[in-house]
Amino acid sequence: MGILHAGILNSLPDACVTAICEKDSFLIRAARSLLPKTIAFYKDPAKMVANEELGAVFITTPIRTHVQLITELARTSKDLSLFVEKPLAASYEEARIACETANGLRGIHMVGFQKRFSPIFQKAREFIQNGSLGDLIFFRAYSFSSDVLREGGSWRFRSGSGGVLLDLAPHVLDLMLWLFGEPAVVAALEKRVYSSEVDDYVHAVLSFKTGLKGHVDACWSIRSFRLPEVSIEVHGKNGMLRVTDDFLKVRIDGGGAAAVAGTQTFNKQSFDSSVPFLLADPEFTKEDEAFLLAVRESRIPDLNFFEAAKVNAIIDQIDAKANPTGE
Amino acid sequence: MLKSLLLGDNPWIGVSHLSQSRARETTERIPSVEAIVEVIERAVLCGATGFTFSTHPNNFQILKALRQAETIRHDFELCPVLPYAEGYVRITNEKGMIGLVRDVLSKLPSSGKAKALVKGGISAMRLDPLSMLGAYVDMELASYLNVKPENANLGVVLLHEVVTDLAISFRAKHLFESFIGHMRDHYDAEPGFVTRNFASFVKFFKDEGLSLKDVTIMTPFNRIGFQMNPSRESCENHLVHLSEGSVIATSILAGGYLGPDEAIEYLRTLPNLSGVAVGVSSKEHAEQTYSKLRPLLST
Repeated sequence: MGILHAGILNSLPDACVTAICEKDSFLIRAARSLLPKTIAFYKDPAKMVANEELGAVFITTPIRTHVQLITELARTSKDLSLFVEKPLAASYEEARIACETANGLRGIHMVGFQKRFSPIFQKAREFIQNGSLGDLIFFRAYSFSSDVLREGGSWRFRSGSGGVLLDLAPHVLDLMLWLFGEPAVVAALEKRVYSSEVDDYVHAVLSFKTGLKGHVDACWSIRSFRLPEVSIEVHGKNGMLRVTDDFLKVRIDGGGAAAVAGTQTFNKQSFDSSVPFLLADPEFTKEDEAFLLAVRESRIPDLNFFEAAKVNAIIDQIDAKANPTGE
Repeated sequence: MLKSLLLGDNPWIGVSHLSQSRARETTERIPSVEAIVEVIERAVLCGATGFTFSTHPNNFQILKALRQAETIRHDFELCPVLPYAEGYVRITNEKGMIGLVRDVLSKLPSSGKAKALVKGGISAMRLDPLSMLGAYVDMELASYLNVKPENANLGVVLLHEVVTDLAISFRAKHLFESFIGHMRDHYDAEPGFVTRNFASFVKFFKDEGLSLKDVTIMTPFNRIGFQMNPSRESCENHLVHLSEGSVIATSILAGGYLGPDEAIEYLRTLPNLSGVAVGVSSKEHAEQTYSKLRPLLST
């Protein structure tokens, strides 16, 4: 993710990558030989912040190092703005430390839940929030990928820093939070398929204050999902919608005043998805633009550490329900 | 008028830019290699002049089977796109960035220039990314060139957009120079670049004093501006003012969102296009699509 954000930022008109911190000597050598000579390389993040005039730092390291880096960087400079790849932390306890640190920052803070920048999910949110579906009854959601089809050796497969719940599920959990508010976790289960230290599948039953209930599945071992995909299907008294990364289908059955009965489909192509510079999906560029704008305006964005900590709270609840004995 | 109508490989490697659910449905129905060859032959009869493909394992088998195809004429162009980026994303997920580098290096041929680069293992390795790029391109292409139909020509070798666009973002002029030089020195084929940032690509070449002469750019052009960055208007404007280089339009159907008639109507408004690449999933689809595109070809 580091190279993706660095590439996007370096292409946007009001940003420039000036320094990179990397622990591995070989990767530093490789990057030095490929990247512009103007970029400085460091192994020590505090030294990087002390030596360079940085406006912001993007933390795109393994999850368990996020909060340690946040606290270390904030100690070095209170003026820094921080962007952290999702999830904010490896646990809610750690996320709270990040939030406490953020309270002492003069810079802004944001977490990379880029799906909120997708026009398809934004449109789905409009339908849900304007009451078109009527009182919501239940939902079913998933986040699937084929990322793990055998035991891996990277940090994603180490206990306490990875697993499908920390790696893939945060996206769909953040969307649930954004669409429906904070849930309570009613029940959960996890399963190992290929990995020996972490779970490859998780299932959770969630309940929201509005009375909406449903379940979410996350699995990174489904061979037919060439690319990661999120899907949320929600049924209300007046209709239903299904939204994925690629499309939104809304069916209004009538019975309410908010919308006319009928079916509507929106594809990615239904929206103007052009961005100043595209690497991967447009949402990543929009996310980085939103961060830069917030820095310029000294305004804490919606996707701040406090909001992101709620995702960590849900993750911890799911883990606790799935492992009541704490194994 | 266009010089080339290229068949794309998306329908045969499970890629759909409309939706992943459609890609999964297509994957369930991916025809046999023999049936794919029949689709390619039908497309050729209807006007297709070449095949552009990623270095996905399915395409190796397709190329091998095409050797027996009678319709493949001497001027049929092969335009490989490399690397097959998704394969490398999976390796990175599994093994991390270092694991990816080790994996790629372990596959480099143990002879010639590459041998000198990797001698002594990773820690002692002489890091010369540009020589490594050449060795990597040679390795990726070798197996495909070994099985290609005798009649078919290597038309253009294209760098995948992941590499092209990252290189633009870091203004890695030397990488472009190196790839262009390597293709000219070692292959009878044009260097090409796939990009989803056409305007930035053209501007970068101009700013850096790089020539687009005999360079191919493969990039989306469609009526709704899908995958055209920073905007449809900007891409069209840069195309209008392009004085050298060949542009092959992709995503002309915006991933299946547009019909061929409206796609072709839009293509007719664009100057300076030299080719079009479009994927088809069946013989009927090939006939419908290429029969409509053929009138755009210069004879």
